[in-house]
Amino acid sequence: MTEQLTTFRIGEDVFGIEVMKVQEVTGPPTIVDVPLAPSFVRGLINLRGQIATALGLRELFGFKTQAEAQMSVVCKIDGNLVSLIVDSIGDVVEVSRNAFEKPPETIPADVRKFIKGIYKTNDSLLSVLDLDRLSKELSNSKE
Amino acid sequence: MSTWARWTSSLRRYLDMAFSDQEIEEFKTEALEMLDAAEKSLLSLDGAAAFKPAFDTVFRCFHNLKGGAGVMELTALQTHTHELENILMGFQNKGVIPAEYVSLFLRGIDGARTLLEGQTIDFNFDVSVEVTKPQVAKPEVGNLEAATNNSASTAAPSSSLFGTNEEFVVECEERVERISKSLQQIENGDHSKELIDSIYRDVHSLKGVAYLFSYGNLGDLSHGIESSLEILRTGSHVPSKILINVLFKCVELIELEVTCIKAKMDNSEIKGLVGNILRMLSEATAALEPALIQAEPSQTVPQTATTAAKIPAAANHPPTAESAAELSSIRVSVPLLDNLMTLMGEMVLVRNQVIQFSNTSENMEFVNLSKRLNVVTSEIQGELMKTRMQPIGNVLGKFSRVVRDLSGELGKQIAIELQGADTELDKSLLEAIKDPLTHIVRNSCDHGIEMPETRRQAGKPIGGRITIKSYHEGGQVVIEIADDGKGLNSDLLLRKGIEKGLITEARAKTMNEKEIFNLIFAPGFSTAAKVTNVSGRGVGMDVVRTNIEKIGGTVELSSVTGTGTTIRIKIPLTLAIVPALIVNSGKNIFAIPQVKLVELVRVDQSSESKVEYLHGAPVFRLRGSILPLVDLDQLLGVAKTKEKPAVLNIAVLNAEHCSFGLIVEEVQDTADIVVKPINRLLKSLQVYSGATVLGDGSVALILDVLGLSKVAQIGKEELNADDSNGERSLKKNKTSDVQDYLLVRVNSPTKHAMVLGYVNRLEEFDTNAVELSGAQRVIRYGDTILPLISANLRLGYAATVRDVTSGKFPVVVVERAGCLYGIEVDEIIDTLSSSLEISSSLAAGGAISGNLNTKDELVVVVDPFELILQTFPHLKSVVVAGEKVVARHAPRAAGPMRILLVEDTPFFRRAIANVLLSGGYEIVTASDGQEAVEILNSDEVSFDLLVTDIEMPRMNGFELAKSVRSNPKFETLPMLAISSRADKSHVQKGVAAGFNVYLEKLQAETLLSMVSELIGPARRAA
Repeated sequence: MTEQLTTFRIGEDVFGIEVMKVQEVTGPPTIVDVPLAPSFVRGLINLRGQIATALGLRELFGFKTQAEAQMSVVCKIDGNLVSLIVDSIGDVVEVSRNAFEKPPETIPADVRKFIKGIYKTNDSLLSVLDLDRLSKELSNSKE
Repeated sequence: MSTWARWTSSLRRYLDMAFSDQEIEEFKTEALEMLDAAEKSLLSLDGAAAFKPAFDTVFRCFHNLKGGAGVMELTALQTHTHELENILMGFQNKGVIPAEYVSLFLRGIDGARTLLEGQTIDFNFDVSVEVTKPQVAKPEVGNLEAATNNSASTAAPSSSLFGTNEEFVVECEERVERISKSLQQIENGDHSKELIDSIYRDVHSLKGVAYLFSYGNLGDLSHGIESSLEILRTGSHVPSKILINVLFKCVELIELEVTCIKAKMDNSEIKGLVGNILRMLSEATAALEPALIQAEPSQTVPQTATTAAKIPAAANHPPTAESAAELSSIRVSVPLLDNLMTLMGEMVLVRNQVIQFSNTSENMEFVNLSKRLNVVTSEIQGELMKTRMQPIGNVLGKFSRVVRDLSGELGKQIAIELQGADTELDKSLLEAIKDPLTHIVRNSCDHGIEMPETRRQAGKPIGGRITIKSYHEGGQVVIEIADDGKGLNSDLLLRKGIEKGLITEARAKTMNEKEIFNLIFAPGFSTAAKVTNVSGRGVGMDVVRTNIEKIGGTVELSSVTGTGTTIRIKIPLTLAIVPALIVNSGKNIFAIPQVKLVELVRVDQSSESKVEYLHGAPVFRLRGSILPLVDLDQLLGVAKTKEKPAVLNIAVLNAEHCSFGLIVEEVQDTADIVVKPINRLLKSLQVYSGATVLGDGSVALILDVLGLSKVAQIGKEELNADDSNGERSLKKNKTSDVQDYLLVRVNSPTKHAMVLGYVNRLEEFDTNAVELSGAQRVIRYGDTILPLISANLRLGYAATVRDVTSGKFPVVVVERAGCLYGIEVDEIIDTLSSSLEISSSLAAGGAISGNLNTKDELVVVVDPFELILQTFPHLKSVVVAGEKVVARHAPRAAGPMRILLVEDTPFFRRAIANVLLSGGYEIVTASDGQEAVEILNSDEVSFDLLVTDIEMPRMNGFELAKSVRSNPKFETLPMLAISSRADKSHVQKGVAAGFNVYLEKLQAETLLSMVSELIGPARRAA
């Protein structure tokens, strides 16, 4: 059993999302700030008339700095458009389910909760983003 | 056996398949529609409407429902409607239905609705009024059909039916189309049961209606098809080609017949064909082979051909083209319309963008084209809106019934008048206003309109009148519900308001009439002297208002005592597109819905009328009254781009209970915006209700005016009530100030009290159980020994003489530092809840904390810990000093030393605060750890010391200490714990959590000395 993943980078780390969940990848979008929102909500994006919420994965994973270049990975989670702001986009890779493992305990809990698991590929370790968990974070009310 | 019974029984036999949810749902919707129509007709019978059409509608409803219920296997509903139908038939030729029977049928319709909901009913078909039943035999449906069959020979429909003719034809055409589609599928080899069932249902309905309207040909044809399908439905036979052919011919014939009916043409030619084709049909059916064996072509084929040839001949003369235009309505699914609306929204956006672009263009041709585009788009938008529009009469019509029922129930005479029932409104909005409107109408009937006698005395007509008027005004729909009843009574409203604690008496004196009337919208408000089953349960008008506001509407109320009340509801035409005001705040763009906008004010700060500051809060004098202001930039934490501008733009907004001014940096324009939802996380920030894409493609957030007012804390009465004497409570919670005491009697005429929170248990011991350990009187209490302390002795009263040999005495068990102590009292009286301050009396000191001056008497408050300490002086109060980190904490720059005091018990919060205040420290209080953390993190004020209790709700002292220490900012903030739980393990835990000092519950001297040791005296050396 294999799975196809769209990969992207945040800092030195490589992440992946199931390819079918990705609607499109665009260059750095124009983001409208949402005052008072938590820092990982970068703001809102006009995606051809639809409104997408932009999530800064750097903020989400506790990076203090911003990357120079940014890309947007647009996914539809539970009917909501979400744009993940990442550093750069990689290839679509095909990975074998055999190479899958649960994320190790040593990863900081704040990051680990958004990671479904790790694929061991030849040249790197690929963390698979848990989109459902991410969507849950968005549907939680703040209070 | 009547025909319907035959069908249903045969149906039941064949129906081994359960219906899908969707089918059941469809049936329900249709049934409810029919019942609504029937109800309306019945009510029109009440008036002076023509009898026949109304009667037919009601009859059709009962009859069709009966048929449908049979198919759907809803036996109860079937029997119910059958019975109603039978009773109704008795009036067919009477030309009038007596009022009591109208009531019976109305009840019957309600019953049917209940049954449709899946509930059971116990229905009494007797007319409750003792008028003799009309002497009509209840004809069986079979007889009816016989009758209509006879009349069918005259073929032409009776003229009285013409009113409903159009509806009937549309229905027939729909059904015929469905039937032929299904037949086509069958011909293509799909012999599935669903298909046959669907045809079966259609022809069955067709037959019922046709016979009712005396269209014999149509009825006979449908009946024929139905019979031949019966055998197919068993699944034992598959349809032969011949049969399918004949069926097609039948359908063609039906179509022809319908065309004739539509064009009101002579159909005698068709009549001849009908008999012919029916014979072929029965032959073809009889010739069917059992399943899986294909029927061979037989000699009937040429016959079919000849018939087919004849039909066009007959069809030559109906002028189909011109009559088809008369009936032009099709059903479109709502999701499709929703999609269209969404796309329309997008198109409006594109249009806006084009126009914006064209404004900068020099190309005249392009400018003209874009103008044309603008016009056309607006037109399409308007037309498309209409597709979702329904006349408000669909909802208002129901109120005739509501009022009719209620007036009977309440013994009042009430008439209802509807005006502007054809005003159109978006269907979803129509649904949303149904319940609120019903509520208002019921209220008017119950509270508004007086009893006939009262009305007569007041010189009014005996019959009350409720008028519902609806009309368009300024892009909104206005619905006015007016009654000519007794109106609202301001005095009564005020009294109730004070009674329910909604307003203070002082406030009541200053309220104007409008504000008083608005009280009825407050939650839990009801003016009804008693709760009736009609209204007055106190869940009324606030829900009405909430529901109306949810759809972006507003509710206003005006009333004149003695002459009536008018409620005006304003609702937007549609939800999808909202007019809004676009404002700027720095680089952020926001949209404010126009509904919430009252006016725009531009204030020149150099002129006379300018923004003033009241205790630091900006306010503006708007036409004599003070308008609180909120700075949008500040509220959202957006950095100001400029220094204070000379001219301020204020958008006066209308939140639920108040108006306020929103200071915005720049006002742009008004625009029609399409509301796009935002996710829950952003919604929970309270200030945004959605987002939208503007003409230039940029995204703007839509401000939630109600949420803004909440976040800005406008309209909340009495914050920071006791700002006096240095104590500042950031979150005031009135109820938490109530302290519970245990009332006891000692050998003194005055009652004594202990804080209930300290009491561990109440016990009653036998005098014989008392033993001596040295001089100390003790009682063995489970595994431990309970030392007894006589309250009388310690407080300086004479000992109570007790029978030493027997009897019981009450003991209050108190825990201190892990040990239990028993305090002997004479009697345990009761508990007392009081929010009174404890006044320190002359006698205060020692074990007496002070006095409570209650309404009836003076109560002495006793400190049980002091009693224990006096008895056992060697148990000094536990003071444990943890790591002294004092020196490292940088004290605040100026002012007196400030202490954050965290304590959940109001009694001790006050007591400790008083001690610290007496030492000259400044105090801020919090009622639990959570609140303390919030205050610390808010950065509003800084502190030199944290004093906290340990046992607290939400976040206890240990958790608080850990949380404080984990924040680098407060690593060195001195912390002092005060707790009665001062046994070793607790103290250790406290020190581990980061407390510098752990004190046993309040001892003024010790506390002050420890505080002074930690942070020094209150006043800094200058």
